[in-house]
Amino acid sequence: MRKLRDSQGLMALAGVVLLAIAISPVASDGSRIFLQMGNLTDILRQISLIGIISLGMTLVILTGGIDLSVGSTLALSTSLVAMGLTRAWPGAGYAAHMLYAIAGATLAGGLAGAVNGAAIAGLEIQPFIVTLATMIGIRGLAKWLTNNANIDIGFGGDVAARFAAAFRQKPLVIACYAALAAVFWVLLSRTVFGRQVRAIGDNETAARYAGLPIRRVKIVVYALSGLLAGFAGVLYAAGNQQGNPNAGVAYELDAIAAVVIGGTRLAGGKGSIAGTIVGTLIMGVLTNMLRLGNVDSNVEMMVKAVIIVLAVAVQRQRRMD
Amino acid sequence: MSDLLRAEGIGKRYGGVHALRGASLALAAGEAHALVGENGAGKSTLAKILAGSVRPDAGRILIDGKAAPIRNPLEAQRQGIGIIYQELDLFPHLTIGENMVIGNLSFREAAWVDFRKVDAFCRPFLERVGLRRGPREMVAELPIGQAQLVALARALSMRARAILMDEPTSSLGEDAAERLFGTIRELKQGGVSIVYVSHKMDEIFRVCDRATVLRDGETVGTVEVPTTTPGALVRMMVGGADELRADWQSARAAVDNRRADYQSAPLLSVRGLTTRKLRDVSFELGAGEVLGIAGLVGAGRSELGAALFGMDRATGGEIRLRGVPVEVRSPAAAMRHGIGLLPEDRKLQGLMMDMSVLENGAMASLPRMSRLGFLSTERERAALLPLYRQLALRCASFSAPVGWLSGGNQQKALLGRWLLVNPDVLFLDDPARGIDVGAKQDVYRMIAELAAAGKGVMLASSELPELLRCADRILVLADGRAAATYTAAEATPERIMAAATGARS
Repeated sequence: MRKLRDSQGLMALAGVVLLAIAISPVASDGSRIFLQMGNLTDILRQISLIGIISLGMTLVILTGGIDLSVGSTLALSTSLVAMGLTRAWPGAGYAAHMLYAIAGATLAGGLAGAVNGAAIAGLEIQPFIVTLATMIGIRGLAKWLTNNANIDIGFGGDVAARFAAAFRQKPLVIACYAALAAVFWVLLSRTVFGRQVRAIGDNETAARYAGLPIRRVKIVVYALSGLLAGFAGVLYAAGNQQGNPNAGVAYELDAIAAVVIGGTRLAGGKGSIAGTIVGTLIMGVLTNMLRLGNVDSNVEMMVKAVIIVLAVAVQRQRRMD
Repeated sequence: MSDLLRAEGIGKRYGGVHALRGASLALAAGEAHALVGENGAGKSTLAKILAGSVRPDAGRILIDGKAAPIRNPLEAQRQGIGIIYQELDLFPHLTIGENMVIGNLSFREAAWVDFRKVDAFCRPFLERVGLRRGPREMVAELPIGQAQLVALARALSMRARAILMDEPTSSLGEDAAERLFGTIRELKQGGVSIVYVSHKMDEIFRVCDRATVLRDGETVGTVEVPTTTPGALVRMMVGGADELRADWQSARAAVDNRRADYQSAPLLSVRGLTTRKLRDVSFELGAGEVLGIAGLVGAGRSELGAALFGMDRATGGEIRLRGVPVEVRSPAAAMRHGIGLLPEDRKLQGLMMDMSVLENGAMASLPRMSRLGFLSTERERAALLPLYRQLALRCASFSAPVGWLSGGNQQKALLGRWLLVNPDVLFLDDPARGIDVGAKQDVYRMIAELAAAGKGVMLASSELPELLRCADRILVLADGRAAATYTAAEATPERIMAAATGARS
């Protein structure tokens, strides 16, 4: 059953790739631009941030929840890492300064997520409402901390510039996404924690009767989601050479779309990291295809809308068979 | 005899199960008529058919001697039949007045709501049922007894001449119940007939003029209440006790043969256990004993399991395991103490339907099935496959979603979960409910094997034959209290039903 679902997702991806090849513009040497190595790795780099966020979103949605705050958390993290890097460092060495800034920003994301989880599991408020509130609140925090101004990094030869130069390299960004995807794939499919996540989403009442630690699992799931959004914020800061409190708007929706296109059931219980990776790739290839074809970015949004609905409709059909 | 309402030969099947076959009822004008029977005898189904919310497969309904097909609740309303469900069907966040006029054919509704008109319409009916509340108050703010009066006022405002009440006192305190009886008497004097669905003998003998007894979906007979006794009614409800007895006595032989000496030191001892739904329940359970838990719907069978398993907070009393007092605050704590619970509703409370048979089996033993947080599929297979073989669980693949299995095999998958946990005390809440005959035999065999292995088993069941064939002793619950305890030798269907209905003679 799961194999079938994954292979269907892969077929959809293959279809999009074939379409992209077919309508790709041709370079002067006769090769298709879509297939050029540089373009393919560009796609991977472009999907990496949403890809990383959607790994955590997969766990959240599998428990039957939602996390709307990840875009704001990314903004908070980009701001914090830039602030950390531009602040005077008493100690010696660039490496320690960088590590401090990266870890601080990432952990702040994790903390924001843990707050979400505590409110959802402890106060038993609906995830949509809790994360809607923190989406607003965390955005406010990021803007307040930065006085709503971008913090430029990456110019000159200071630690911030070295950070940006290191963490905006294509291979490193893609490697981070690949490594995290592998970790979360294993976490979900091979560990006790992963099975508890799926069990809670499948039937929370039954999970209670089986004595599962529902609260703890939920808090950890939201903390992981925040942690990943925080790390994505670090990569965002390096890539854009600035800490931007207005970054990441609507990223949560792209992440949710990737998860849902990947076949994870919005009500929870059913889904996989593999599916989410495929869903992220479909979105990425689609965007790239439309941009290579010089399609208006507004039209691009409309096409994406149709794809999301089609993907979910096809999955519903399969479920009814 | 001029009957207000007559139902003849009513039949209803759900899948292959007959809920009703040839049920009949004759209701005279101005009488209170009890509809009684064991759990699953078909009382509620018959009431729903008369109220138009369930359509019968066979039979006919006559009103004032004329055939009157009742295909939906609106037609029932037109015919003057009202119903008050056990779980009231009111809208809690609407006002009393709004609740009374919604769908009410006697109230002419304009597109624009005229609240003064609604008030004027409702007041006389609220007065008639004795509810001192304004029509603009919210139903959510009323205590349950008053909300029930709103439902009653609504039925009257729909010009109901016959009102069906399904277990009307099940959620009422004694005061509220007392007031309800008074209201019923007044309604009778006003010519309204009441069908009183209940199995509480004291209420039936206080309120009702006649009683119709259902058994296995059939009407056994109708009696005049003043000229009968609770014992006689119970005998009618239990029915052909002799054939029943032959059936379970042969099956019991095997049970009696094991005879462990469990009386010596109780494994589990419960004193004065009190929760939201239980009052002062005490009993003991020995190692190797099967203690049956009998009682009508709502008597507290499942609630006893919930209290022992840490799902319901105990407000009083003491639970001792091997003489040591224990606090059970959560299912995880219960499991640590060696108490397990197979819940009543395997779909809602038991299984993760999209997860595999093996995953479901391992669900309550994940730490044991893993190393450093990583699950070992080999370990799961090695631990669960022998148990599933023992239970004779049949499935195409143990990796297939458990939702694909038949009801009996689903129940075995869930039972396997608890065999793997292997608790000292296992509370089985209606383990044979809704499963086929073969699977039932496998479950009964498993119960006997657990007892033979020195476990304490509690078997809650709505089926008397099941308790009589499996249990060493039977604890009868009524209204959240321990009404009686019988040993296998003493227990008879009549005695158990008498204790459960409060008709001890």
